[in-house]
Amino acid sequence: MAENKKYWRGISELENPEMVKALSEQEFPDQISNEEFLGNKENLDSTHTSRRDFLKYMGFSTAAATLAACESPVYESLPYVVAPEEIIPGIANYYATSYYDGHDFASLLIKTREGRPIKVENNKEAGINANANTRVHASVLNLYDATRLQRPAVNGQESNWSSLDKELMAGLAKAEAEGKQVVVLTSTVLSPSQKKLIKTFGARYTNFKHVSQDPFSYSEKLDAWQEATGKRALPMYHFQNAKVIVSVGADFLGDWVGQSVSGDYAKTRVPGKDMSRHFQIEAGMSLTGSNADKRYKLKTSEHGQFLAALYNELASAKGASTVSGVTSSMQNEAKAIAKELLNAGNAALVVCGGNNKDHELLCIAINDLLGNKETTVSYKTRTYLRQGDDKAFKALIAEMNAGKVGVLITNNLNPAYVATGMANVAEAFKKVPTTVAVTMKYDETAQISNLVAAENNYLESWGDFMAADGHYSLQQPTIKPLFDTRSFEDNLLRWTGLSADYHSYIKEHWNSNVLNGTQWSTVLHDGVYTATASTPMMDAVVEGLGSSLNLDLAGVGTRVAKEAKAIKGLEINFNRLTGMGVGTIANNPWLLEFPDPISRVSWDNYLTVAAADAVELGLRHWNESNGALNGNLANVTVNGVLLENVPVFIQPGQTIGTVGLAVGFGRVGAGAVADKVGVNAFPLMAVAHHAEVKVEAIAESKHEFACIQLAHTMMGRDIVKEVSLDTFLASPGKTEDHTGWNEPPRFETHKGALTSEDANLWDDFDHQTGHMWNMSIDLNLCNGCGACVIACHSENNVPVVGKEEVRKSRDMHWLRIDRYYSSDITTENAEENGYEGLGLFGKGATDMYADMEVPSQSPEVFFQPVMCQHCNHAPCETVCPVAATTHSSEGLNHMTYNRCIGTRYCANNCPYKVRRFNWFEYHNNTKNFGDNYAMNEDLGRMVLNPDVTVRSRGVMEKCSMCIQRIQLGKLEAKKDGKALKDGAIKTACQSACDTNAIVFGDVNNSQSEVFKLKKDQRMYHLLGEVGTQPSVFYQVKVKNTTA
Amino acid sequence: MNKQRTLRLFSHSFLMLFIAVLSASTLQAQEFTGDVANGKSLFNGQCAACHKLDKKVVGPALGEVTTRRSKEWLYAWIKDNQALRESGDADAIAIYEEYNGSIMPAFPGLSDDDINDILAYTIEGSAPKVVPPTEGDVVAVQAESDNSVLLYILGGILIFLVFLLTRVKNTLKQVQGEGVTTLTQDANIFTRTALKNPRVVTVLTLLVAVVFLQQLYLGLMVVNVDTNYQPSQPIKFSHELHAGTNQIDCNYCHSGARKSKHSNIPSANVCMNCHVYIQEGPKYGTEEIGKIYAAIGFDPESGTYIEDYEQKPIKWVRIHKLPDLAYFNHAQHVTAGNVECQTCHGPIQEMEEVYQYSPLTMGWCINCHRETKVDVKSNDYYKDMHAKLKEKYGPNAEITVEMIGGLECGKCHY
Repeated sequence: MAENKKYWRGISELENPEMVKALSEQEFPDQISNEEFLGNKENLDSTHTSRRDFLKYMGFSTAAATLAACESPVYESLPYVVAPEEIIPGIANYYATSYYDGHDFASLLIKTREGRPIKVENNKEAGINANANTRVHASVLNLYDATRLQRPAVNGQESNWSSLDKELMAGLAKAEAEGKQVVVLTSTVLSPSQKKLIKTFGARYTNFKHVSQDPFSYSEKLDAWQEATGKRALPMYHFQNAKVIVSVGADFLGDWVGQSVSGDYAKTRVPGKDMSRHFQIEAGMSLTGSNADKRYKLKTSEHGQFLAALYNELASAKGASTVSGVTSSMQNEAKAIAKELLNAGNAALVVCGGNNKDHELLCIAINDLLGNKETTVSYKTRTYLRQGDDKAFKALIAEMNAGKVGVLITNNLNPAYVATGMANVAEAFKKVPTTVAVTMKYDETAQISNLVAAENNYLESWGDFMAADGHYSLQQPTIKPLFDTRSFEDNLLRWTGLSADYHSYIKEHWNSNVLNGTQWSTVLHDGVYTATASTPMMDAVVEGLGSSLNLDLAGVGTRVAKEAKAIKGLEINFNRLTGMGVGTIANNPWLLEFPDPISRVSWDNYLTVAAADAVELGLRHWNESNGALNGNLANVTVNGVLLENVPVFIQPGQTIGTVGLAVGFGRVGAGAVADKVGVNAFPLMAVAHHAEVKVEAIAESKHEFACIQLAHTMMGRDIVKEVSLDTFLASPGKTEDHTGWNEPPRFETHKGALTSEDANLWDDFDHQTGHMWNMSIDLNLCNGCGACVIACHSENNVPVVGKEEVRKSRDMHWLRIDRYYSSDITTENAEENGYEGLGLFGKGATDMYADMEVPSQSPEVFFQPVMCQHCNHAPCETVCPVAATTHSSEGLNHMTYNRCIGTRYCANNCPYKVRRFNWFEYHNNTKNFGDNYAMNEDLGRMVLNPDVTVRSRGVMEKCSMCIQRIQLGKLEAKKDGKALKDGAIKTACQSACDTNAIVFGDVNNSQSEVFKLKKDQRMYHLLGEVGTQPSVFYQVKVKNTTA
Repeated sequence: MNKQRTLRLFSHSFLMLFIAVLSASTLQAQEFTGDVANGKSLFNGQCAACHKLDKKVVGPALGEVTTRRSKEWLYAWIKDNQALRESGDADAIAIYEEYNGSIMPAFPGLSDDDINDILAYTIEGSAPKVVPPTEGDVVAVQAESDNSVLLYILGGILIFLVFLLTRVKNTLKQVQGEGVTTLTQDANIFTRTALKNPRVVTVLTLLVAVVFLQQLYLGLMVVNVDTNYQPSQPIKFSHELHAGTNQIDCNYCHSGARKSKHSNIPSANVCMNCHVYIQEGPKYGTEEIGKIYAAIGFDPESGTYIEDYEQKPIKWVRIHKLPDLAYFNHAQHVTAGNVECQTCHGPIQEMEEVYQYSPLTMGWCINCHRETKVDVKSNDYYKDMHAKLKEKYGPNAEITVEMIGGLECGKCHY
């Protein structure tokens, strides 16, 4: 039998034997015979170059080339002809300005170098939204996006401003003559001057209308407030005053109604008697939910019932009238939470998410019962960050379809992208004779508009904002427009026939209406202005006073019950990813490579599915041998709208029976980088933020994820240390007899149990003389938002490597935020669950650890920022063969790129895995890394920080603790001849952190904050048992739960 | 700063002087005997900002001023023209008004002798010049001929000796009855014998190898080390004149050096602070200064800036360039470290054309950081650190940059 066996040398031989045969017959194809080549005497004689000559020429040209190469290039150095007074080359200037893109708003300081804006910093003086989020921190890169519109376009052809103006004026005249409407469609208008200007512009036309629509609408919330208080504006929330916080589906730490509350929230999260307790009730796993003390999973369609149940509990306790017809699947929890809320009294706060009037009405009623008016919910100070009106927008679409609109001007809103689930926008646009898109991109709306007015970036424009009552901000340009663009307001001024520029327009408006005697230049310097009581409140933004409450909860009970019943199958929740928001500045490689805090996936959006549902639907995800994550694809149908090939991500903590999908991806025309990423969820989303959905798995499908975290649980190790508030308050962390809740790991030696610091073979460095830089990271305050990751990116010229490279774990982030889920199996409960010994006769330790890798389906979530720990006994330093990484007298671990030869020993020996290797040239490498225009285009490179080297291929890099900032801070002190003040030096991550979780300073200065934090009971070192003595330390996380 | 102010003061003062001189009735030429050389340097230092000998600038031309004014009047005017005007001197008031009330500063510091010297220079300087052959040229020629004559003589003697010895050798050979050999034949025989000796070959090979490797090493060590790099610049700007003769402080033009990491090349508007008035240089006349005007758009005739002029930056050639991987901060050295510019840039005040004085290699940096002492006492920044450094290195130890971490990699490479 054996002789009959046939062996194939490979799959190809089996599949295509003919080809293999043909190839094997001619192993060396196209052989040139020597005889043929040298035998032709005639041919040889006819050439005049002999072998000797050839060698001579070779030798000569090599020598000549070598000599020529010896000449150094000549560098020119061009000074200014007339130097601007405020610019000293090499010194950064900061300008206060504001960011607003129709969705995100923040007061900022912009760092410029030689006139180029390069970095976003928080403007801590602002009374509202003083903290830029991840997206705003990255927004500086969008200024240098070469795919921005560089000049106006008329009917799809690049054109100039005069023809655009002419076309529009003709369109306006025609509309006026035909009695058709002139409509300005924008996102929420935050600017008093802009609002005034739109009014002035509109006054010229008989049928004028201004419609606002938010990209992610909260219109029904606003309707609720209008009904209840007579003013269509949301209140300002004061989280800092709250002791008990209940959030029903509101992702207030991630992306909610525009007010940035994470800083205020963090103030209540300082461990102590006054620490707040946070309950989160939600369907998908949100950033807020992952920070909650107690998180409950509940379908969004049942949120109304829960709120009603909670209301009834409170109402019956307070003796108020209850809502009838209420049932909730979380009746008992509602009871318990109501008790907590009642105990907290007016220091309680209940907020809800979604775009639903009934939910908001219940929320208003609950807060009213709690009596927290003006303590945690301010009726007096309203925020204006969301003013969109779904009904007005739908009416507008109807009028457009009826041919009643003559001119439509859009700005700060991309209806053809964000409102496609609400109406057929493209069809409606066709019915309007003149459509003008004032936009920065040739985006979805621009593509269906006749006229495209190229708009300035926010860093090139003037502007003013009033985000809340009395809280004014200014926006000032930090650079001249890079292209032939005009701001929306300058356009309006021109189209209105006013000769003023917008700068003087704002100035005049402020001087006469806002400033009340304060100098314009002072306000411009500060960027923000808080009106005093005597200043007339600018009610031009939203009419009405709204301090009284007029609630009508009749019928709410039946309505919420109906809502819950309406969804019979699977429910989909639309959300926004921390790194993308609604996709306004999608063409940003920093943001696209930013790993989502929860899923740790970059370069994608995906359908989040609970593990149990995944099994039922036949969906799975799996890791490749190199750790890269793959997942199935699914077809998603909502209301008859089909979205094909949606990647599926199995999300711990996702409520069973629900799926989640983020909007902001799947762009067309946002730019070369954004256009190819993700799927567009907006067409599925109508008014509500959730809907019934049909999910069909695509068999045999594979989607490649770029998920940068492989291990999702701590597997029983003390990586993030946690303690309950009770224990924290009752006992010290470190005790004499080593029984505290924060004991450093000890080793048995002949001298007794010693900490790694004492059981130590190494010689110590002198860290008493001079500075000793340390960093404290408070895990209680860190909410995982990731602003620091982007700040680090832009400060340190960190490259973007693209999806394929991230899949190979070659991401370059100097600072990452690890996210850990708790697992159901822990070392404590292992025995109860039947894991015994080595597991020779059943489940043992190996099985236990394997099962510990599986996150719980209702997990607790931990975030931990990890950067180079700057070990004082650094494992990387000892293995470097060329001393490229060395220790400094100031407690830092230096990395010298020009010395590094790329052995990568250091990265292998680093227990924290914080070293990053430049596998490729990530700059000037358009062919492979062109997506990262920050390093590969002349325009994009303007964003680079000139004080930090752009690393080359083959060298290792890592967090330097912003050594450029340390050196600058020291120099400034030396120049002034003064001692260095604590807090004078802030690392990029620290200054971006709005919760003050990161504190940096000199521990040799006993007055410094970091010195006190190092002595804190909660202080511990990551992997303390390794004995690396890091300069970075963490503060134990305290959860406000009863142990 | 001081220099700048002085210049401006002097410019005004001489303006006034000339006005006075011009408006006065012509006087007989007077006798001004003085040291012309001293007068020239005083004139260049104190008057030239506003006055020229042959041309009206900010103030009147000073050539032949002595023919227009009396000696006493000139003394009085130069020392304190305001007092002279206030005394009611008609000439003084007239010239003040002619130049639109520009004030010439008083020069109480100038003695009568100094003024005599200056005035002597104004007479001498405006006289037609006869250029004698300079002494230096003559000396140079002589030195050259001296050397060559000596070399020729020595060469002659050597050739004669060779000739003599060859003759002696051949005569001896003839005496012994051997054949006569030429010099070349001798050399050939010697080389052949030597090359057959393995010892000689080994030594020679080693020698060649060592020399080659040493040269290679030295050669590689100076790749990209551009000491003495002296490119020609778009404007023949002389540091010798500005920093040397006129003693303008380095920081006046390179103001960034004190505050920033860059010691900036001054922008053209900084040049114009003086060159609005000084429109002619001592060596290149108006040609080189004209290049500043061309860059910034200044019309020297009318003394005004041309409106809507398309300004052209001056394309200087960069001399000192560290690689991007090294971070260097001027302010750290100039302000915090009190290092003189000349420490690294050499005798810049003597350079007609600037060249790179220092090698700018890492070894050179490190060496300086090892040797340079830090003035820890006068800067409060070091206060705490100094106490601890004293504990560590002894109370009287000199603290060098190295001791405060100046040799650590990350201080310059990040």
